[in-house]
This record gives sequence, structure tokens and C-alpha cells, in this order.
Amino acid sequence: MRKKLLVLLAILAAFALVAAACGSDDDTAESDAGAGVNIGLVYDIGGRGDQSFNDSAAAGLDEAVADLGIEPSEASADETGSNREELLNLQAEGNELVFGVGFLFAEPMTNAATANPDINFAIIDDSSVDLPNVASLVFAEHEGSFLVGAAAALKSESGKVGFIGGVNIELIQRFEAGFIAGAKAVDPDIEIVSQYLTEPPDFGGFNDPAAGKVVAQSMFEGGSDVVYHAAGGSGAGLFTAAKEYSEANDTKVWAIGVDSDQYLTAGEDVQEYILTSMLKRVNVAVRNTIEAHVNGDFAAGSQVFDLSVDGVGYSTSGGAVDDIADQLDDFKQQIIDGEITVPETP
Amino acid sequence: MTAPTTEPQAEPMDNSDSVASRFALTGTRRLIALVVLGMVLLALTERFARIPTTDLTSSGTWSIALGWSIPILMAGLGGMFSERSGVVNIGLEGLLILGTWFGAYGTVVTGSPWLGILFAIVAGGVGGLVMAVATVSFGVDHIIVGTAILVMAPGISRYLSGLLFPDHGGSITQSPNLGGVSTFSVPFLAGGAIFGWESPDILGSIERSNAFLASEAAGILRGFVFQMSWFTLIGILVIPGSAWVLWRTRFGLRLRSVGESPDAADSLGIDVYRYKYYGVIISGLLAGYGGGFLAIQLSGLYKEGQTQGKGFIGLATMIFGNWRPGGTASGALLFGFTETLRLRDPAAPHALLLFVAIVLGLFALRAGLQRRVVPAAGLGVAGLLIFWYYMAVDTVPNQLPQITPFIAVIVVLLFATRRLRMPAADGQIWIKD
Repeated sequence: MRKKLLVLLAILAAFALVAAACGSDDDTAESDAGAGVNIGLVYDIGGRGDQSFNDSAAAGLDEAVADLGIEPSEASADETGSNREELLNLQAEGNELVFGVGFLFAEPMTNAATANPDINFAIIDDSSVDLPNVASLVFAEHEGSFLVGAAAALKSESGKVGFIGGVNIELIQRFEAGFIAGAKAVDPDIEIVSQYLTEPPDFGGFNDPAAGKVVAQSMFEGGSDVVYHAAGGSGAGLFTAAKEYSEANDTKVWAIGVDSDQYLTAGEDVQEYILTSMLKRVNVAVRNTIEAHVNGDFAAGSQVFDLSVDGVGYSTSGGAVDDIADQLDDFKQQIIDGEITVPETP
Repeated sequence: MTAPTTEPQAEPMDNSDSVASRFALTGTRRLIALVVLGMVLLALTERFARIPTTDLTSSGTWSIALGWSIPILMAGLGGMFSERSGVVNIGLEGLLILGTWFGAYGTVVTGSPWLGILFAIVAGGVGGLVMAVATVSFGVDHIIVGTAILVMAPGISRYLSGLLFPDHGGSITQSPNLGGVSTFSVPFLAGGAIFGWESPDILGSIERSNAFLASEAAGILRGFVFQMSWFTLIGILVIPGSAWVLWRTRFGLRLRSVGESPDAADSLGIDVYRYKYYGVIISGLLAGYGGGFLAIQLSGLYKEGQTQGKGFIGLATMIFGNWRPGGTASGALLFGFTETLRLRDPAAPHALLLFVAIVLGLFALRAGLQRRVVPAAGLGVAGLLIFWYYMAVDTVPNQLPQITPFIAVIVVLLFATRRLRMPAADGQIWIKD
């Protein structure tokens, strides 16, 4: 009896801690239009504070709170992502519009949106959910990657650049395809090495800076002098590798960030090695969708955020690409005008 | 790999009439022979690979593989100490996580990776103490306690991250960047400096010479003496250290006796509880070190989820290594090497297929010489199948190298179960009457 009680206590204590760690915090703000409108947002693994994808969504939510005065409520998927559907259903209880941040929400959202037909849902990075109350917000990552690929080729002195993908899935292949196309547009003879950290269903490649560092090291040792990553949290390893390789060999190699302006978040010690970042403005998508909902214009179906609406782009913090900005903006205009079609598969 | 004198040699191949037994080597000589054979095979494989690669024997690969093995090794040795005292520790992954977080936090607040890793060790030790209290004093099932640690550690880390890292430039899921400790190269062997004077890089020049066998051997050896971090060196020293403690000291004998037969140990006046506490706490200290190493040295920051199951892999290497330090270390290096190889050069795993085919062929030959027909045929067919696959494809799917070490462990467990022997009272709950 005593033993059973202890076991129970141990389990309860463990769960209490986890629950405490995953608890959502509600902050309230005072503004105008959307007052009283409840918006729910479920982050994927990592949650607010990943300095990347989730944070970008969080920024959009914060903008909406500040500009429209909506009432937000947030939640994060657990370590294994097994509770995505439960969290969506939970958020659907008290909110009018619920976001799922990431393509891994596709199936959970299909179920949750079917179960809650009166609630509006929006999913980011996926266009496979076809329901009358679901908006699919997707980005033209290949177009943004084209621009940083061009930047990499313009800055490379060795004629060799690298790409690190987190997990070998269609979404990340789009980054690779755009990067390759962009680099080749500048220099048809350029050599591009690509490497993915893990294969699905192992999504650990988005969270393994040590693996990112090993791959980046071997790329730099192999002669690449600009490396672009689309590997989420593993990208931190690329920045460290760029710094260590540059210092050890008395040279300068570049890293290119992804999703948000990583020059601002990756840490001061590696800043000088970050050439630019491919921006994926999830915040714009989140904020615009909330505004549309508040104004009663919520539209279900797929919406593509591409270069023409500044849904993707490249960052200029640090000024490392200032000298080639004209060429990059030229490419950008050509893509918007349809003179260049960027491939979506490598 | 074989343990010193205290335990008898349990070699099933010692049928005195078999041909092989005449060539059988024991102890250190056998280990050296195996290492040399492995190096020669790797060199041959690389030379004659259909898809060219240089990463199988390059010092760069081996040097990184060594570092990559340390967290796995520490988890494995940690598991070994705990299980040698009779407590199954499936919470190693959780202890690693505690090590990563506290190692990072310690480095952030003190500015010194050395103090940071001390934080990691202490945190792991405290985690071990909690496990010991639950399993030893309260007699809770080891699996339940291990699971509780596994569930708790990420929760604690996340909570503390949100509380403490944002002020230092990190966030709820990651720490700011950490600088690791410096690295060194051994003078003369790998061109390390002595008081500012750069010694010749003997192994390096042999590696670059492209001389058959010598170049490859030098590459592998140089990986162990070139740009090694001080943390890596300490990790390596734990291998002989733990062998010495467990098999050459009174403390080690008592610790093992508690894991083999607590009743007998108790009747001889050994404080069973105390030694089980020691075992589990040492387990925590080692796993904490492994976690700290992973965050501070290998990754350069704490990142939620970065342990990637290394604690469980450590547990597998412990079983692979028959609850012994040398075997655990070779298991850890196997995992470290295949993982590094896969990440560094996607072409290399293809060449590795040839290596595996040859190794299986040799095993088949040995089994044949011992007149063990079924294993010989099985190994031979497996070797031929892999060789056929090697000839048939030009690239292996990226998933394959990712699971290679796991397959290796399963194969070892299949073929060596007769030789594997866990501590007799491992996993049992012992309550003093």
C-alpha cells in the first residue's frame, strides 16, 4: 500500500511539473477594434521563445494585441507533439479563431476543425486541409531562398556554397531548391553541397545544434565559404561553426540564417559571421488573418505569402549585403514580375 | 575489453579441439589485434570503395567522432555504475538533460566552462540522489522512478529556462551561446605546440602522404591526438578510471557484490543501501558530465531536445559492452563514428557497407572454422546480401546510416547473448529485513 502511494505521488509530482512548465500565460492589453475577440494560438514543439518560427508567430499575435486589442490565449505542444489535437480542441472552447503553427498540425487541425465547425481555424505552412472553416497560410520559401542563394553566390570567393536542411521533407526541399536556383542564377558554374540532418519521421534535425555544427564544419573544411541553413534550432551550430572555423583558419566564412532575422537573435559573438537571413514573415500572416477575422473578412482556403506581398524576403541587419542589395532587389523584381520562375523542388 | 583477473574468461570459443582456439588471443593482446584488424579493414575499404570517399579514416572524422561519443559514453558508464550496484537506470536521458541545462546555466552565470561543467556534474548527482532515495530507501520500482526522472527533467529545464535564460540573451528553449574549453594537439604526433614552439606534425604528414595503409592508420590515430578538447580527454580518462575503481578497489568489489547478491553482501556486513546510493549517485555525476559536455563543448549552447535519445543509446552501449567499461566505450565510439560519418560525408556510409560485408564474412569464416554451421551460413548469407547491395546501389538512403549503430547493437545482442551477463541482482528491489 505504502509503495503504491509513493509511486502515485512520484507520478503526480512529475506531471505537476510538466503541467507547470507547459502552462499558458495570458496577457491582456487595452486597445480598440478587436476588443472582446478571443484568439487562440497553439505553438509547435519549442513554443514561444525559440527565436525562430514560433517566435515569429508570437510576434504577429503580439502585434494584433497591440493594434486591435484582441484577447489572446496561447499553448504549446509537448515535447513529442502528441497533444496537438487536444490543444486545438481546448482552444476552440473559448476562442473564435485558432491558429496551429506548423505543418505538423495538418491532421490534428482536420479533426479539430471538423469537430468545431463554428470556429475559424488557420494553419501555417500547410495547404492540405480543405475545410470551409480553415485558412491555410503558406509561404513562398523558395522565392526568399532564391534571394539568399544569389547573395551567397555573390559573396562566395571559393565558388562553393552549402545548404543544411533540418529534416528531409518537401517543405525544406523548397528552401534548398530556391537556394540552388538563386546561386546558379548568379554563377552557373557554382558548386552547391546539400545535406539534411535527419530523415522523417525523425524530426530531431530541427533541434540538434551539435549535428548542425558537425555538418557545417565539414562543409567549411570542404571549401564552402557560405552556408545557408533551414534547420530551425540546429542552425545555432552553423553559426558557432562559422565562428570557430574563421578564427582557427584566420579567414572569414559566412552563415545565412532563416525564418527570422537571426543577426538580431543568434548572439553577439557570432553576429559578424551572419551574412543575411531568409525572412519568412509568419507574423504578417498571423496578424493579417486576425485582422481579417476581426473585420469579418475571414477567408478559408489557401493564401500564399510570397515576395510580392513581402511574405518572404531577406534581412539587411549588419550591413553585410548592402553592397549587393541592388542586384538582390533586381532579382526580387524579376521574380515578382514573373520573369524568373523559382523551382520548388531541387 | 576483457576484464582483469577477478573474473574467469568466459569464451565460448575455447573448445580445445577447434582450430580457431590455437590462434585465440586473450586480454589486451586480443584487443590490440582487433583494433589493428579494424583499421586495416577500414583502410582497405576506403581504398577500394566504388564511390570515392576520404572520410572513413580522416583525422577530422575521428576527432569529431571521439567528441560525439563522449555524451553516449558518459551515459553508458553511468548506467554501468548504477546497474553494477543493482539499480536499473532508465532515467539516464533525464540526467543528461539536467546536465545540459545546468552546464549551460553554470557557464552563463560564471563565464567559465570549467565551472559550468561542475554545475552539470552536481545537477546530475542530485538527480541521481533523488533516484537513489526513491529506489533504494523507498523501494519504488526502478522503471517507474526512471520514467519519473525522464518526464521531470525536461519540465524542470523548461521552467528554469523561461525563468533564467531570457535575462542572459537566451529564451525559454535555449541558452545564449557558450564558449567551450580550448583544444590541444599532442606535440610531435599531431603538431601540438610546446610553450609556443610548434612541433612537427608526424601523423599529419603521414596522413597526407597517401602511402597505402600508413596514411589511413595515421589518419585514424591522429583523430585521437589532434584538436582534442580537455573535456574530451577527461571523458576518455573515465574509462580506465572506472575499470580501476570497479575491479581493483575494495569500494568497487563491494559495489559489485551489492549488485550481484545483496543478501550475501549484507550478511558480510556491507551496508547495501549505502553502496546502492553510491552507484546511482556516481551514475548521475557521470551522466551530468555527459550532458554538460553536450551543451557546452559539442553544441555551443543549451537547446531544448538536444539530447536526442543519447541517454538511451548509452544504455544500449552498456549492454553491448557487457556492463564493462571497455565494451561500453567501443559501443559509444561505434555510435559516435557512424553518426559523425553520416553527417560529414553522405557518400561514406556507402563505403561502410563494404566494410560491414567483409566483417560479416570474417565472422562467418571463424564460425566455420569452429564447425558452427548455422551461424556460419547465416553470417555468410548476410555478408553476401550486403555485398550485393553495395554493388547494386550508388547511394544509400540517409535513413540507413542513421539506424546502422542500432542494427549493430541488435546483431551483437543476437549473436553474443551467451556472453552477455548482467549483474545477478540487477533491477531487484532489496529491502533490509
